[in-house]
Amino acid sequence: MASDLLSIGKSGAVAARVALDVTAQNITNASTDGYIRRSVLLREVAASGGIGRVGDVSLSGVTLDRVVRNADMFRQSEVRRTGADAARANAEVSGLQNIEDALDQSGVYDAIVGFEGALQQLASDPTDASLRASVVELARTMTRTLNIAASSLEQVGEGLRFEAADGVGQIDLLATELARVNLRLARAADASSDQTMLLDQRDHLLEQLSRYVDVTTTFAADDTVAVRIGGASGPVLVNGGTAGNFAMTTAADGTISFTLDGNPATPQGGSLAGKALALAKLKDVQDGLDAVANSVIGAINAAQTGGVALDGSAGQAMFSGTTAADIALAFDDGGMIATAPAGAAADSRDQTNLGAMRAALATADPAGKADSLIFEISSAVQGRTVTRDALDSIANTAKITLSAQAGVSLDNEAANLLRFQQAFQASGRIMQVANEIFDSILQIR
Amino acid sequence: MTSISTSTAAFYDRAKADMATLQKRAETLEQQMSGGNKLQRSSDDPVAASRLRVLSRADSLSNIDKANSDRANADLTLADSALTTFADYIGRAKELATQAASGTLTTAQRAGIGYEIEQIHGNLVALANSRDSNGHSLFGGEAPGDAYALDGAGNATYVGTPSAGDLPLGDGQSINRGITGPEFLNFDLNGTPTDLLAEVKALAAALQGSVADPQQAARDGMAMLDTGLEKLTTGQTLVGSRLTWIDLTTTRRTNLSELRADEQQTIGGTDLAATIIDLQQTLTVLQASQGSFTKLASLSLFNLIS
Repeated sequence: MASDLLSIGKSGAVAARVALDVTAQNITNASTDGYIRRSVLLREVAASGGIGRVGDVSLSGVTLDRVVRNADMFRQSEVRRTGADAARANAEVSGLQNIEDALDQSGVYDAIVGFEGALQQLASDPTDASLRASVVELARTMTRTLNIAASSLEQVGEGLRFEAADGVGQIDLLATELARVNLRLARAADASSDQTMLLDQRDHLLEQLSRYVDVTTTFAADDTVAVRIGGASGPVLVNGGTAGNFAMTTAADGTISFTLDGNPATPQGGSLAGKALALAKLKDVQDGLDAVANSVIGAINAAQTGGVALDGSAGQAMFSGTTAADIALAFDDGGMIATAPAGAAADSRDQTNLGAMRAALATADPAGKADSLIFEISSAVQGRTVTRDALDSIANTAKITLSAQAGVSLDNEAANLLRFQQAFQASGRIMQVANEIFDSILQIR
Repeated sequence: MTSISTSTAAFYDRAKADMATLQKRAETLEQQMSGGNKLQRSSDDPVAASRLRVLSRADSLSNIDKANSDRANADLTLADSALTTFADYIGRAKELATQAASGTLTTAQRAGIGYEIEQIHGNLVALANSRDSNGHSLFGGEAPGDAYALDGAGNATYVGTPSAGDLPLGDGQSINRGITGPEFLNFDLNGTPTDLLAEVKALAAALQGSVADPQQAARDGMAMLDTGLEKLTTGQTLVGSRLTWIDLTTTRRTNLSELRADEQQTIGGTDLAATIIDLQQTLTVLQASQGSFTKLASLSLFNLIS
């Protein structure tokens, strides 16, 4: 007879206490980011009989087998994957929206139409000083608006590059942290609370990392993780206790690329990939805006030099510069607009050259170019927004599914609290019975 | 132990996401209503936004066309009234020539008439040099100064350009902005090209005795003035038909701008009734989800365990 009622009761009380502790831990961490619900797994303690003692009853109560961490690896990796996609789409859309704002709100289109209109009005009386002044002023408005649009676009680019640089810093930080967690995981004892906490940390770091770049993970038997960037064959960011050095390079045209330990890395997801895409689009838009500015400069200046000004002198170029950023008005005097053809006398009302100027402007069609540029970027924004919304809801669903499975339900924990409290009380009662039995034996006279 | 129930955090997350979506939708509808525009930014509907840009460009250029055609209208109206005055003077000159053609007048009286016609010549030259609303010569084409220059002997010569030039009225239409002096003053007299100003001056001189037979000169002058008046009337008809053309293009422009305004409203304007109903629907759903959220959130097992 190897059973001991008192120690069985004690083991039950201890197990119930542990279960209550775990429940309390779950309740207090109900809204902790990255916390995964624990539950206790209990195991019966009983000895099987040896030779000659087959009939013995040998029971020793219960013991805590391990604390189970209710994590689902598949759902976690889904959260990382969809989260990286959503972060990429979000970063790209917000970058593109900024580009759209810079172009649309600066009023480039309206300013070009205003200049066109002023030239058209000048046709009603090419020698009228006020109409000439109005052409000069509207030309000035157009050049300044183009300057403003160009500098706004430049600022959008700077903002994107700044955020990308910050993201790169974050990745390095997270990778170092993850390497440290890997080292500690390799040393932690199985099923210890230390290990579960480290696993929580590991998964939380991976999720944070996946917001910046898409990560491919490989888990080892000791629960350490190896991380690759940009697909399964990409360069290794973290392996065991070593973290790679992730860096960003800015090209002369403002686009960015990434390297990992000197090797090129191309993230397919995450906010960094989105920012790289937005910057590539920004370059296209900047080139387009420069083309608009250049078409105005080319058309007007060519016509100007082919005619004569109001005072009979040869026409001068109206605009200086070659791009949207440096286009400027070359003269302030409305009299220098060359409305008359070459060879005309001073104060000529002959407006052949004004007609040529307007025809050249109509052929260059800067307003149409600006319109299609705005159309291009705004339809890009619209298309990406649809994708973004879809990816966002997919990522949200994945996150909520994981949270539903791995998160804490307070109602469940309340029920557990009652259950383990009762278990504790019952174990206490066992010990009381053991005591009473012992007493009754002692009382035998 | 696995559980199929939802976690507390998931419940709150889901409620938050759903309500945020509804709130955002209600806000967008409210913006559309208060702004009167369906499109807050180009990316809301790139095609419609591009169309709206093209329409507003057409609108602003059409306004300038209107200003230009108003100017042409003013100048042509001025020319028309000047031509009426021309006709009045020629009428008066013809009266005088008729008197002078009568044999009952003495040479001195005829010379007096000749003197009056000379004054009329002066008025005609001044009238031919009148200015338009911008201060340019009304009948000199695109000449920077006067249309007619007087030499020492008082002979008027046309110094303007052959044509008044075209003024665009929009939609590819343009109009000859005015009428030049030669267009209504030059005519053929007995097969010889001449102009009214020179002929009137010659008549004045003839009546004052520069020719042997002033009476015959007066009779010839009557015929000449008839031909001149005919040419003038032709000029006036020309001006009138150009004014009608401006009227026509103005009507067309107004119609087009109405069409544009209509299209702008259809593409970019908010359909108030539909938007209000949408908003009401969204708000009802939002209210319901808020209500059910508070109900569910207050349900906790902890409240019941005592």
